[in-house]
Amino acid sequence: MAIDFRLIWEKLPFLLGGAWTTFSLTCVSMVFATVAGLIVGLLNMFGGRVLGTITRVYIEAVRGTPALLLILIVYYALPRFGLNFPQFPAAAVSLAVCYAAYIAEVFRSAVESIPMGQTEAAYSLGMSRLQSLRYIILPQTFRRVLPPLANEFAALIKDTSLVAFISMEDLLFRSKMVSAATYDYFSPLVGAALIYLVMTLPIMQWSRSLEKKVD
Amino acid sequence: MADEKTCSTGRILDVVDLHKSFGTLEVIKGVSFGLDHKERLVLMGPSGSGKSTLVRCLNWIEPPTSGRIVFDGQEVQAGACDIRKLREDIGMVFQQFNVFPHLTALQNVALGPIVVKKLPRADAEAEARELLAKVGLAHRADHKPGQMSGGEQQRVAIARALAMHPKLMLFDEPTSSIDVELIREVLDVMVKLADEGMTMIVVTHEMGFAKEVADRVIFMDRGLIIETGTPAEVFEHPQQERTQNFLSKVHLA
Repeated sequence: MAIDFRLIWEKLPFLLGGAWTTFSLTCVSMVFATVAGLIVGLLNMFGGRVLGTITRVYIEAVRGTPALLLILIVYYALPRFGLNFPQFPAAAVSLAVCYAAYIAEVFRSAVESIPMGQTEAAYSLGMSRLQSLRYIILPQTFRRVLPPLANEFAALIKDTSLVAFISMEDLLFRSKMVSAATYDYFSPLVGAALIYLVMTLPIMQWSRSLEKKVD
Repeated sequence: MADEKTCSTGRILDVVDLHKSFGTLEVIKGVSFGLDHKERLVLMGPSGSGKSTLVRCLNWIEPPTSGRIVFDGQEVQAGACDIRKLREDIGMVFQQFNVFPHLTALQNVALGPIVVKKLPRADAEAEARELLAKVGLAHRADHKPGQMSGGEQQRVAIARALAMHPKLMLFDEPTSSIDVELIREVLDVMVKLADEGMTMIVVTHEMGFAKEVADRVIFMDRGLIIETGTPAEVFEHPQQERTQNFLSKVHLA
């Protein structure tokens, strides 16, 4: 079966519309996931026993279940409890809840990679734990956290394709729509793959160059 | 002002029967000593003797397991006194420098006064420049630690500790991680501090420095003080066999 590039070209505006949904959903989810992930990560490390346990349970529960499950629960199950989300917010909330757990672990490992001596030096100047976090540990963490965060961003772009299960017209869903309409089950998917790569490759490249700078 | 007053009282530090265990391992097994204002004490001993742990206990970076510490007339007890206030008054210089890599030399020195003492930034930075000049690093003020040699980083660390105007300076093997040819520049700064009347406790194997600066040498082994005296007494007429053994090895090195 040959790739019908003419068809891809013809349907490109339609596919790009789907890619815009994919991209905007990724960005919105990522912003919430990063903020929540930072908070969860800090509570996990410094929140004491109770908050530490709660956040640990959350992180492990999310990491041990498929993201798709979370999306289906939020979109199909929560309305029964009176929580009605439209498609986009439902998808964004699910993905943010899911990625916040991953990102919490990113922050935790970054903080743990800062040598103990940095905290000791901060304490020896009379700083409180909060001050040493604010002025010494976190500023050093943010550099180390950027490359893995960029990787999470690229992974999230791909995972947004799960929203096809709740009939959101993202890039993957629209390429399947083209397939259904033209009986070409190959070319539109190739087109979608190329558009995904255009989005993810630069980010992964950027992440690698950041990693080199950090070293 | 306040310094002059406390100075006349003589004593700055009393350590009584200090113990420190990590789990079941007892690293310090009952150490007592005192320190007067402006006194320079050198702590020596083989690795694993507990000397580093001892100085780390003094500012509560390692909380002692039991025993008393009285600093500047105040009993130090976690909870019963403000450990942070104590740390403001005790400067510490680490073996691994522990300078802040994301900050310039100037910011490293100014940060403590700005954050802890709430000094205005301009004042703190002006004083930080003076301190960097004092340790011979005026020209490196805007460099980050990554661009500096070990000797330079350690001098930044000394300036950083001095910026808090400590009443006592602790040095935990300050030259052990520094290239041989750069050790002198760090020791010179420490000698200068001693000459200005800084009260200091120095963990070091630098015999030359000890002879030049120390009022008293304490020799530790296996968590206990086994010998104490002036540098001349301890180095030239060590009473204990373990001290003699250790000194002969250091002399060879």
